[in-house]
Amino acid sequence: MKELSRALSALLRPRGVLLHSTLAVILASTLAALVAVGYTAHATSQRAYLASQTRLNELLDTIEGTLAVACFAKDQTLAGELAQGLLSNSDVLGVSIATGQETLTDMHRGQSSGPPAMLLKRQVYSPFDRHKQVGEILLTPDPLVIEARIREEVWFAAIQLSWQLAMVTFAVVVMMLLFIVRPMKAISDRLHQMDPAAGERLATPQGHASTEIGQLVEDINALSDRLVSALATERKLRLQGEIDEKRYHTIFDNAESGLFLIDSQGLLTSWNPAFARLFSILPQPLPNDPFVLTIGQLPWQSPSQMSELVRSAVEQNQAVAQDFQYVNPQGQLNWINMVLSPVGDNLLQGVVHDVSRLKESEAYARRQVITDSLTGLVNRLGLEERLQAHLQEFAATKIGGFTLLMINLDEFRQVNEGMGLPAGDNILQSTTSRLSACIKSEDTLARLAADNFCIILSGVTQGEVVERIANRILQAIRQTYFVDGSPVNLHASIGITLFPNDGFDVPMLLRQTELALDSAKSAGGDTQVFFDPTLTEAVEYRRHLESDLRSAIQKNELVLFFQPIIDLNAQRLSGAEALIRWRHPTRGLVSPDSFIPLAEKVGLIAEIGLFVVDRACQQLLSWKNQGLDYTLSLNVSGRQIPDRLSPDMLNSVVQRYGISPDRLALEITEGVMLHDVEKSLQWLGAVHRMGFRVYLDDFGTGYSSLSYLKLFPVDTLKVDKSFVQDMQDDSNEYKLVAAIIAMGRGLGLEIVAEGVELKSHLTALKRMGCHYAQGYYFSQPVPAEEFAAAAARVAELLAQPET
Amino acid sequence: MQVLLLSLLVALLGTGAAVNAEPVVVVNAASTTQQLRQDEVINIFLGRYRSLPSGGGAVPIDQPESSALRAEFYRRLVNKELNQINAYWSRLIFSGRTSPPLQASSASEVIQLLVANPGGVAYVERSQVDKRFRIVLEFPR
Repeated sequence: MKELSRALSALLRPRGVLLHSTLAVILASTLAALVAVGYTAHATSQRAYLASQTRLNELLDTIEGTLAVACFAKDQTLAGELAQGLLSNSDVLGVSIATGQETLTDMHRGQSSGPPAMLLKRQVYSPFDRHKQVGEILLTPDPLVIEARIREEVWFAAIQLSWQLAMVTFAVVVMMLLFIVRPMKAISDRLHQMDPAAGERLATPQGHASTEIGQLVEDINALSDRLVSALATERKLRLQGEIDEKRYHTIFDNAESGLFLIDSQGLLTSWNPAFARLFSILPQPLPNDPFVLTIGQLPWQSPSQMSELVRSAVEQNQAVAQDFQYVNPQGQLNWINMVLSPVGDNLLQGVVHDVSRLKESEAYARRQVITDSLTGLVNRLGLEERLQAHLQEFAATKIGGFTLLMINLDEFRQVNEGMGLPAGDNILQSTTSRLSACIKSEDTLARLAADNFCIILSGVTQGEVVERIANRILQAIRQTYFVDGSPVNLHASIGITLFPNDGFDVPMLLRQTELALDSAKSAGGDTQVFFDPTLTEAVEYRRHLESDLRSAIQKNELVLFFQPIIDLNAQRLSGAEALIRWRHPTRGLVSPDSFIPLAEKVGLIAEIGLFVVDRACQQLLSWKNQGLDYTLSLNVSGRQIPDRLSPDMLNSVVQRYGISPDRLALEITEGVMLHDVEKSLQWLGAVHRMGFRVYLDDFGTGYSSLSYLKLFPVDTLKVDKSFVQDMQDDSNEYKLVAAIIAMGRGLGLEIVAEGVELKSHLTALKRMGCHYAQGYYFSQPVPAEEFAAAAARVAELLAQPET
Repeated sequence: MQVLLLSLLVALLGTGAAVNAEPVVVVNAASTTQQLRQDEVINIFLGRYRSLPSGGGAVPIDQPESSALRAEFYRRLVNKELNQINAYWSRLIFSGRTSPPLQASSASEVIQLLVANPGGVAYVERSQVDKRFRIVLEFPR
């Protein structure tokens, strides 16, 4: 009972579910009832009208026969009887029967107040002829009667619907009370007292295990579970957070690196002790300190870079790093590295650490990389950097041209090989100081490799100034060096380029300078050459020549010329020197001075060397077959020794032609032997043992080291033509040639004098006791086919009487 | 005796006519009426109008109740049996507005009534027609 009253109080709650639902049900039912009643009224009136029509028709049917008789006979009495009978029916209000001509009867019952009803009219046919009309009857139905019937039916339907409505509403209210309101109230009461954290949960109301209410209870319980577990997780996280914060605080306080937070304006909001120590500021920001400190106020060397970094970190929204210099509390300039990372909330987290030592070692390593350890000068890398810097400066300002000089010692290799590496190093160091003395402090002196030096003359572009400086350098190098007390005389070649005239990038400048240097070397050294574009053309020319040379051998363009050698004692032609010539299809005869160095450089020398040996043997065989016992000498370059023209290769060629090795002489220069003394000695020893003769060529122009003469197995000396050509009575050359001949004879060597151009030369040589002579006086070098003619001319010359 | 014989003959003929009766509608030869349509005959005999088209009252005369000719006449006229005709009249008689045709007690009386009545209209066996009467309607066979 108590429950019911509680439920009723719930029902009366103004915004309660029950009241709402009940009102909604009543409203909906009433609407439905109104529609139903309206429809019923309409349908009933239709039905009632039709029913009345049917009934009247049936009435007429029953009297039809009599009516036909009455009309046929025009019997008013009979018609009146019929009308009377019809009027006794409550539906009928009036009857009128008429034949074609007259009205038999017209009767009405009372007066109808309702609207005129539809008249029912029927035609009456003769009882004897169904097609002959004899009259008609008009029935007036009573509308009031029909209306009354309709009203009655509608009323009945309305009452029935009201009953049903009342029953449905009652049922709904009761059902809602029982199945919804009561369990909800119970759930609500229970929820008020429930403590979900203590594990209390809602109980499912009885009978609602599988209803929506039961589902709701389950959902509420699940929600409680989730809330409770979320609360527990959050509590755990908060605890963990506190622990983490403590831990991070410890790390923050004890970190070696400086750590700090700034806002996007650079305002420092917090920092750690290490940061404070770096910049000598308070260990902690003071609480409520009105004095604000920004990162830019720290003692940076260039504060603008710092604000730049802050801005770029904020703009890019990603970590940025840079090294900065700052003045430390002791007043020294130190390096720190700073990393700024956005951490959200418009804050930047910064890490700084001292990188001064790192910077120092970096700088040291850098210096090492670009420094030549022997002389302390910058090396090639350093030079290229400086040049690059000059180029960039020029590109930016359009002023600041410069001159690049490349200096090479002409005879350094010989010194290094002949006197040892320490001597060479000594000379390089001396050269460094001499060169330094020739330039100003803003100029750059570099050593690229071995004895290759470079100088950048900053701001100097006038040719005459450069020439003056270059001459000063040449002069400085010419001064005698002393190595372990021994005097050494050296010369320098200098290649010069002017920037920006001669080149616009570093590799190009270096290449042009090197070209100029090569040109200076080719000119004999001890000189300076300014780069000019024709040098490039010369290089082009060499390149073409090189490719031509490669095909020259296949195309048989290389030929041997032979210059007769005369035995002065026997007064006869004893043999010849084989000289190679290149019959170039477009350039004509190319001298070996032009293409042999090229062949050496590009590695064709071995092939050419063998070709020469082969042709020489062929010629010897040809002479042998003619019964001529000539000898042939041929030139061997240093590059062919020891492997490119090995003793075995030589031997196999002479064997193939069946030539005795002593017919073939190998001419070498002193320079060849200086190149690699050990290997040269072995090679010489081997060929000498095989029976080949060895000539020392160009004797007198090189070192003419007498100890070498003793050391090497040499059979013959060839006196250089420069001495012979300049021989005049009592001239120095005359004495030199005489001395060489005397010395050679003393050592048991035979002597060939080259460059015999005049008869006087011949006379003098004979007087000196020279064994052999060679030169234009007798014959220039001639091709093999002309050699016989040349031999005949020689015989003629020899036959001339001496004057 | 002659009359008796004739009556007998008529009776015989009458019975013969009952089998093979062929009624024709006739009027007094003195009447001005020459022809009647079938519906005019119906109206006269069934009490709708009691006048001739030529003017003057019409007196319909019926054969005796049991006469075969009478049955045949109504059958041919309105396709009704005699009991139906009697039922018809019974509905009208008591109102008194109209009355059934004059009822003759015999065939001869029909002739007498017709001779005596200038407005008379009767139906007789075709064979009985003589110069005293004029056929105004013959029923198709």
